[in-house]
Amino acid sequence: MLGATALAPPVSAQDASRFDLFNQRFAQDFTSTNTATSQFRQHPTDPGVRGGTPGAGGPLQGLSQNELNFFNAAKNVFNEVEGVAQGLGPRFNLDSCGGCHGFPAAGGSSPPSNPQVANATVNGAKNVVPSFITANGPVREVRFVRNPDGTPDGGVHDLFVITGRKDAPGCNIQQPNFAAAVAANNVIFRIPTPTFGTGLVEAVPDSGLQSALAANAQQKASLGISGVLNHSGNDGTVTRFGWKAQNKSLLIFSGEAYNVEMGVTNDAFPNERETNPNCQFNNLPESTTNLTNTTNSGSPASDFSSDIVNFSAFMRMLAAPKPASATTASTSTTSSSSLQVASNSSVLPSAAGSPTTSTSSSSPSAATVTQGSQVFANVGCAACHVINQTTGKSSMTGQTNVTFQPFSDFALHSMGDGLADGVSQGNANGSQFRTAPLWGVGQRVFFLHDGRTNDLYVAIHQHASRGSEANGVIQNFNLLSFTDQQALLNYLRSL
Amino acid sequence: MRRLLLLGLAMGFVGWIAWSYGSVVLPHGAAASAVPNPEDGAIINGRYANRYFDLSYPLPERWVAGLAGPEPSETGYYVLSSLVPAGEQDATILIAAQDMFFAANPDSDLAASARDFRAAMAAIDGMTIDHEPSETTIAGRVMQRVDFSGVGLYRGAYLTEIRCHLVSFNLTVRSPERLAELAHSLDGLSHTATEDPAVSAPACIKDYAVADNLLQRIEPVPTGPRFTSIPVRIVIDRDGNVKHVHVIHAAAEQRQSIEDALRQWKFKPPRVNGESVEVETGLLFRFTSPPKS
Repeated sequence: MLGATALAPPVSAQDASRFDLFNQRFAQDFTSTNTATSQFRQHPTDPGVRGGTPGAGGPLQGLSQNELNFFNAAKNVFNEVEGVAQGLGPRFNLDSCGGCHGFPAAGGSSPPSNPQVANATVNGAKNVVPSFITANGPVREVRFVRNPDGTPDGGVHDLFVITGRKDAPGCNIQQPNFAAAVAANNVIFRIPTPTFGTGLVEAVPDSGLQSALAANAQQKASLGISGVLNHSGNDGTVTRFGWKAQNKSLLIFSGEAYNVEMGVTNDAFPNERETNPNCQFNNLPESTTNLTNTTNSGSPASDFSSDIVNFSAFMRMLAAPKPASATTASTSTTSSSSLQVASNSSVLPSAAGSPTTSTSSSSPSAATVTQGSQVFANVGCAACHVINQTTGKSSMTGQTNVTFQPFSDFALHSMGDGLADGVSQGNANGSQFRTAPLWGVGQRVFFLHDGRTNDLYVAIHQHASRGSEANGVIQNFNLLSFTDQQALLNYLRSL
Repeated sequence: MRRLLLLGLAMGFVGWIAWSYGSVVLPHGAAASAVPNPEDGAIINGRYANRYFDLSYPLPERWVAGLAGPEPSETGYYVLSSLVPAGEQDATILIAAQDMFFAANPDSDLAASARDFRAAMAAIDGMTIDHEPSETTIAGRVMQRVDFSGVGLYRGAYLTEIRCHLVSFNLTVRSPERLAELAHSLDGLSHTATEDPAVSAPACIKDYAVADNLLQRIEPVPTGPRFTSIPVRIVIDRDGNVKHVHVIHAAAEQRQSIEDALRQWKFKPPRVNGESVEVETGLLFRFTSPPKS
């Protein structure tokens, strides 16, 4: 059942208080948008993470052998664990790309077990794990909403420092005071965005995104939806990566993440964010073009390229997630899997105890999955989670004019007070978020920008709050029969 | 037929575009002590009242305001009101408006809008059109009605044109009978109480802010986010002065910059069919050069 009683919090009292507030608010919202009678309606159940073989992680079909060699070598670079000699720190959130983007395969989103917990004390470090980072919660970065003087901050404040590590002698910087920031209600979180299929997204011309946004204007207008694309302040073209579509390209995305999340300076972001002189151990940028081939991976392109070029090449050539066929969907949740996730733990994941101990329940039938696709379109989910996009001319072999199914318009939408994080990025304001692509959602553990839930039913309801463009769609969802609501959840878990 | 007029007045760092929608419109009188904007409607004493659109809608018995919608959009789209029953929420009403000066794909007239709407709904997998677009008159207003249904939801859209906006009442229920019942509530639509019926709302003209009509133009100072679209409506008084500026969607600093500039614009005194009138028209700004420090 929903509600605060589902909490099993191995968390601090402070966090528990925050999460209780969340659940109380959810309960109130739920009550306010449902009737006195419908409060007691049977709720649909999120079937949970789809088991079986990961539907993602491989290369795009049709690539040349040289491209495949580059992809495979770049994947290894993506998964490399970096130390201080390779540029890690002085401040960081984790020590590899693949650690955060690890589920259900390299390039994905947060794994069910958070590697940040163990990473706090690697190699002699003595970092304190903040209250909002838990073993079974999502990988998170934290941003402060305001500076101490009240002006907008919005920047990432890394969880950890290299202080104490054996490979960082003399560095003595401290972690930010996260407890104080939490107490001041000055923190917001972001979880890793999956990067499967992002090369296809990058290859969609601006005109394609503009057309897709305009194409269903009539349906959107009847639901309270508008939407707007984010733009680069440099050249005015459409930006499309990140939770607020703030990043222009996979290379910029890689360069920023390498510097911000891992502290590794690179060709795109060549300066250290933390400038304490006692914590500088390398010449900058710490990752740049290799002038000689010392790797001999089989892909000279990878061997000579800097890390961020490798990262972006890997992501660019990552195939789109494969949805389960209706037949597969009917059995996949009962197939053997190393992962079993609570199907009905409608609480914040970091307060949810151990989701790996629960079992998934219902097995969606082919019929309900098919019905769910109709529900998805009819109630208006597809107005923003636009199913099809098409690439333009692509330098990747076989990727020109490819129609694919990201389930996103890649536009910004106002998501209301309930999801607003108060952070502006590019032209996105504090309440706007990019439509999260739903491809692969069947094999994702955590949902929404801050990973506040691992339950799709909760995630759907979180779309509705004061000022949200999704209110009309969620109202439609609330009017559905139990059977159709369940069909929608089953369909989503088949993606 | 869709029409797009590019005014194409290159203004250095500012480009502006106006969109067409029908011809000159002289709507019902709507006096204003303060000039209202589309988003200024409110539920008062059981009625949704909107002075800008001269609309007054009596809420069905025991209905209340639902969750508020988003702010007006970059494309001039407004969620005017969301209404729900106070008890069991078995139905919803969404009142919305699209400024046709800024619509992505503006239609030529109301009937075309209804046909496009019908086509969009029919294209959705599993959706059935239950009532083809047809003209109806409610409370003296010409409306287009389209009913459609799917996955157990029955919906009716009532579209009308007011001041070059496509205003829609969107009804959603769980049964055809309930839809018919709710549709009857629209019969209670009326005009807002006017303080001075002799005062007319301005004529809505799609392309009035062109060089031929302008006597003085002051450029806004570039500020705020670049490459965002900033839709603006202005009301020009009978002497050609800018009487009212409504920046529909912009960052705060951009809003101020544009208002400051537009209030200095001077037009030739507007006339329609030889008659001196107030005119309402639209402008689209887009800052492309860096803000001045």
